Amino acid sequence: MATRHALEAVLVDLSGTLHIEDAAVPGAQEALKRLRGASVIVRFVTNTTKESKQDLLQRLRKLEFDISENEIFTSLTAARSLLKQKQVRPMLLVDDRALPDFKGIQTSDPNAVVIGLAPEHFHYQILNQAFWLLLDGAPLIAIHKARYYKRKDGLALGPGPFVTALEYATDTKATVVEKPETFFLEALRGTGCEPEEAVMIRDDCRDDVGGAQDVGMLASDEEKINPPPYLTYESFPHAVDHILQHLL
Amino acid sequence: MAPWGERLAGVRGVLLDISGVLYDSGAGGGTAIAGSVEAVARLKGSRLKVRFCTNESQKSRAELVGQLRRLGFDISEGEVTAPAPAACQILKERGLRPYLLIHDGVRSEFDQIDTSNPNCVVIADAGESFSYQNMNNAFQVLMELENPVLISLGKGRYYKETSGLMLDVGPYMKALEYACGIKAEVVGKPSPEFFKSALQAIGVEAHQVVLSVY
Repeated sequence: MATRHALEAVLVDLSGTLHIEDAAVPGAQEALKRLRGASVIVRFVTNTTKESKQDLLQRLRKLEFDISENEIFTSLTAARSLLKQKQVRPMLLVDDRALPDFKGIQTSDPNAVVIGLAPEHFHYQILNQAFWLLLDGAPLIAIHKARYYKRKDGLALGPGPFVTALEYATDTKATVVEKPETFFLEALRGTGCEPEEAVMIRDDCRDDVGGAQDVGMLASDEEKINPPPYLTYESFPHAVDHILQHLL
Repeated sequence: MAPWGERLAGVRGVLLDISGVLYDSGAGGGTAIAGSVEAVARLKGSRLKVRFCTNESQKSRAELVGQLRRLGFDISEGEVTAPAPAACQILKERGLRPYLLIHDGVRSEFDQIDTSNPNCVVIADAGESFSYQNMNNAFQVLMELENPVLISLGKGRYYKETSGLMLDVGPYMKALEYACGIKAEVVGKPSPEFFKSALQAIGVEAHQVVLSVY
């Protein structure tokens, strides 16, 4: 294992770790209180592109989690952070419900393109406009590159195909916000902590944990990964126990 | 003799692109590119065989030739190699019934094709007809098929119209490839079969021809 740095920040995935659908993970509220007792920065991360932070906050407060809005980091927050960092004005091709998370960002005279799940924007004229911006050197930022999603009438094209279309047309590559490397770095950016000083707790054995390791974070996972370079726990409360006992 | 001179001595035919070489498409029938009308006239008046080899897939050959003739070009339908007729040939040979993701302007080229109960998708430069709904229809057709076939008329990235640069069929072909995890079959330039059929039409061999492309 790489040299252990002092632990300064803990990123906690929301869905599956703190709660499963509308039920809290047993003992999670209390475990969070204990985590807050230690002097670490806590951030809550989630890959939602449709719910604004307010929606998430309401859901979590109903489940009696003590969380404030500025501790929540969604892929939309990551996109916003990227826009601020690059100092660009975006053409926003995102769901209307996602717009509140971009409040305060200038969108007139755009010099960047942000694409989320927004079928109503994926028509020829709008994509052509985005194409012109990209030809002028505007960066292309994709929230994610999902191929499709499920609707009542069957499968429907996600943003991925249209991002691919623009990449091919302009011979450039989009920055994909939900790619683990990008997402975690942006989540940490606001905390002032280095990746080596952070731990990520999530329940998924996907790419995401691998990505966290790639950016130098110690990653805890609640399920087994094969091969298991990570510490595994049964639940969020167990993960917090381990952190409080061994990593501080 | 200089090397170029030697090569040109054996030239018996010319393959001419249309968009970007003869004219730029756009409102009001488009605009002829300066000097092109005269150049074509001179070529036609020479001993060289002339063939027009285009990837135009937003309008039928009849409409395209009509527009070019109004601009003063000496051109007829029989002198044009275009992708839609080539695609129809393939569809007939393989018993394919397409969902047509195309602009209405080229629909007449597919009049002889059975489009009921589609078992493949044909995508062309549909322009404004690349609505989310139409793209999604094509996507759903492909996802239902055990053996999804996507035939693309060209794969250009964009082309120039008088009002600016326009997304061509290529990006949308890539979109469906990505969405469905498949690879399209490209009919039209730059597929070798397409060039071969143009050469056959004027009875010359590859080494005897000069290409003029944008």
